[in-house]
Amino acid sequence: MTDFNDTTDHEAKADLIEIAAYKYKEGLLTRRGFLSAMAALGVLPALGSKAMAQAKEIIVVNWGGRASEVLQEVLCDTYTAETGIPVIVDGSGPSGGKIRAMVESGAVVWDLCDSGMGTALILTEQGIIQPIDYSIVDKDKVLPAAVYEYAVGNYVYSYVLAANPKMLGGNVPQTWEDVWNTKDFPGMRTFRKSVRGMLESATMAQGVPMAEVYDALGTDDGIKAAIDKFRQLRENIIVWGSGSSSQNLFLQEEVAIGNIWSTRAHLLKDQMDEGSFTASFDGGVLAPGVWVVPKGNPAGTEEVMKFIAHGQDPKLQVQWLEMIGSGPVNPQAAELVPAELQKWNPSSPENLATQIFYNDEWYAKNQVAAEEMYIDALIN
Amino acid sequence: MKTSGFRIFFMTGAWMVLAFLLLPILVVIPVSLTDTSYIGLPKEGLSLQHYAAYFQDPRWMAATWTSIWIGVVVAVCATALGTAFAIGCWFLSDRASTVARWILITPILVPPVVQSLGFYRFWVTLGLIDTNTGVILAHTLLALPYVSISVFAALANLDRRIPQAARSLGASVWQTVRAVVLPAAMPGMVTGGIFAFIVSFDEIVGVLFITVRNVSTLPKKIWEGIQEDIDPTIASVATMLVMLTLVVTAITIWRGRANA
Amino acid sequence: MPRLADKYRYWFLVLPALVIMIVFYIWPLLGIWQISLTEPKAGIENYTRMFDSSAVTTSFILTFRIAILTTIGCLILGYIVAYVISNFARRAKPLMIALVLLPFWVSVLIRSFSWIVLLGRSGIVNDSLIGAGLIDSPLRLMHNEFGVVLAMIHVMLPFAVLPLMANMRGISGAYVDAARGLGASEFTAFRKVYFPQTMPGVMSGALLVFVLSLGFYITPALLGGGRVLMISEYITYQIQEFLNWGLGSALSVALLVATAIVILIAARFVNLRSALLERGS
Repeated sequence: MTDFNDTTDHEAKADLIEIAAYKYKEGLLTRRGFLSAMAALGVLPALGSKAMAQAKEIIVVNWGGRASEVLQEVLCDTYTAETGIPVIVDGSGPSGGKIRAMVESGAVVWDLCDSGMGTALILTEQGIIQPIDYSIVDKDKVLPAAVYEYAVGNYVYSYVLAANPKMLGGNVPQTWEDVWNTKDFPGMRTFRKSVRGMLESATMAQGVPMAEVYDALGTDDGIKAAIDKFRQLRENIIVWGSGSSSQNLFLQEEVAIGNIWSTRAHLLKDQMDEGSFTASFDGGVLAPGVWVVPKGNPAGTEEVMKFIAHGQDPKLQVQWLEMIGSGPVNPQAAELVPAELQKWNPSSPENLATQIFYNDEWYAKNQVAAEEMYIDALIN
Repeated sequence: MKTSGFRIFFMTGAWMVLAFLLLPILVVIPVSLTDTSYIGLPKEGLSLQHYAAYFQDPRWMAATWTSIWIGVVVAVCATALGTAFAIGCWFLSDRASTVARWILITPILVPPVVQSLGFYRFWVTLGLIDTNTGVILAHTLLALPYVSISVFAALANLDRRIPQAARSLGASVWQTVRAVVLPAAMPGMVTGGIFAFIVSFDEIVGVLFITVRNVSTLPKKIWEGIQEDIDPTIASVATMLVMLTLVVTAITIWRGRANA
Repeated sequence: MPRLADKYRYWFLVLPALVIMIVFYIWPLLGIWQISLTEPKAGIENYTRMFDSSAVTTSFILTFRIAILTTIGCLILGYIVAYVISNFARRAKPLMIALVLLPFWVSVLIRSFSWIVLLGRSGIVNDSLIGAGLIDSPLRLMHNEFGVVLAMIHVMLPFAVLPLMANMRGISGAYVDAARGLGASEFTAFRKVYFPQTMPGVMSGALLVFVLSLGFYITPALLGGGRVLMISEYITYQIQEFLNWGLGSALSVALLVATAIVILIAARFVNLRSALLERGS
């Protein structure tokens, strides 16, 4: 786990950030006359007495937990070993809101954020993130579906059908239709607190073939039909808001079935007792995780791009899969995956064949309206 | 007096309600001593491993320390500001000062999420996001109502003629405040200060909004723990806080008995 | 009346806290109105969207329902405790008061955590009931309204007991004694004579619990399982998931207005001054 050196680094960094924030805001504060207010509060001297310092390092942010440790070990420490540039992982969760707040406040402390396409699209639109420099980052080392102007795939994950056979009397739901069959598969289900990856499964549960899912969802009726499926099931639904909460719901045996991220399924297969966890990529929705770089990141654009390029190494990506189940986004990595893990690799050729790709265009067009209907179906 | 059914009903009811208040809080104690790595009652024996996990994790320690010192700073700031405020209002006791008192207690009534939203946007423009200063300022504002209410309550017992007498004997306003009013306000200041510390020490919604990664307080760490991986370390932290509360409460009762 | 020059000096004491409160609290609060009318573009679009959305309506109804249930629960349980403490308890009185106050000092977060531990599917309550052979399969105690309301009553109960106790302290026993002397049963005397006198306490307890419940976030978010989506959680959801500051702010304004309306209505029945401003601690 975390050792003491690590903390020292964090504290050093924290200190610098405070200074940066102060430096940046100084003019603004003076102009608006808030300095005097601050002084009245007695907080100003504490801010003013610190010296400015320089540090060249990269702060990479992801969502915490084990994933942070793995990211540190697999990508960051190897990069430091190669280049001497310290790379520090911060697991505090780079939600779109936080990235935006940081960029707007001008006190950007993050260099690289592990984000999702949905968020990345919004951030692109709002002008919060930087374009990816494809002269440094290699386009060919990324699944074509994960190459964007302002974001680039870092790994892939899927929305998969997970179940606890022990709670279901040994029965395992094979298809999304089974998930909606509460008679033969009684028990609570968990779905995400957002429509992402969820409406697809509800559409497949109506018998729509995989390839036609987004066509069906392309019409208002299609969306309504999917939402209605959730309305039918809602008494059996507990919602997960974060990956870790979906994991907890299975660990605490709160739910028997769920539509969760493959990365969490990967962890659960080791954490749960023998025979009490399965997951299937059949009918899954494959989504790329993406790197985004906030505007005005402290380490500078070039440094971060180099680090992204470092992470494209297929060997490192396979290690990542072994450790936390993130599928390699580099197509060249598939053959390096050990045999026993093939089945858990979201981007293995076999699993790619049974899944559909997350459709960003659909989300850009329909998500907002769909989310509203989804919440309504769940709580009304 | 013979015990009626009416009385029995109320007495049993009251003790049951008090048990309902107390017991759920105590449940963290056995859980914290579990020998398993997940939340549950001890299986084969008691274990202190989750206490060890707490004390050995620098992140928990740092968060605890942050919460304590921020709480103390908030208590000092809020008590100073709130006491001055209450004393001023007590002297004035006019319409305007009543309006001022209403303004000062708004943080009690405004929903936490709403006020945090306000903090967040304003703190962004001030550059206070994710700084200790930002948290201290927000918590001081949230604690001010409690200090001003308790100091004002303490002053209710002070006879208005005493400071008047002091003034007519030639004492200045400041001398009067120092020598006459402050001593009377003291019990209220102590209560208010403790309240202020606790408000800050327990505050979570605001911290979730206005901090990102630099500032981590104990409640934030607990919140993340519950969201992330519910492990018994949280129960050990909770147990220590609950025990502390129980001890302080017991001392208060005991002292109350002794005084009575 | 203070002399004029003195008056300035007294205002000098009042102003620091007041100015800080206005600049750093009231002003940002007003800023929320502005956001709701300007993001993503100027106009009342956020409000029309909000009123058209059936999810928002549902969430508001849910919020009020939970606040009402919590208030009723707190009043019934709180009344019993306050009544016993004020009328029957002798030696146990300090202990009982301490037990009422105790939850105040333990953070809401920890109390919610306790409830998670108790009410989960494989939580302590279910495990013991199964162990005792009373049920075969676990009951659903959490991730629904039941769990949220139960935990919220636990959190809010002291806020109901304290105003009730303050009120009962001022009630003379002479009236009840008189009624008893005239032949009324203990219950009748309570119902006809004592209870009406406690109405101010009941009202201010109800106001406090209701207003605090309306804006509650922590407990529903942790125990609601995402399906007991109260307005506060809805607001954070809009902002954190969709970066939709406009709608989030509009919802905040709506919640603020709803709270204000409740307080204004309550002002007809409750002496707000004694319920809020002069609350003893």
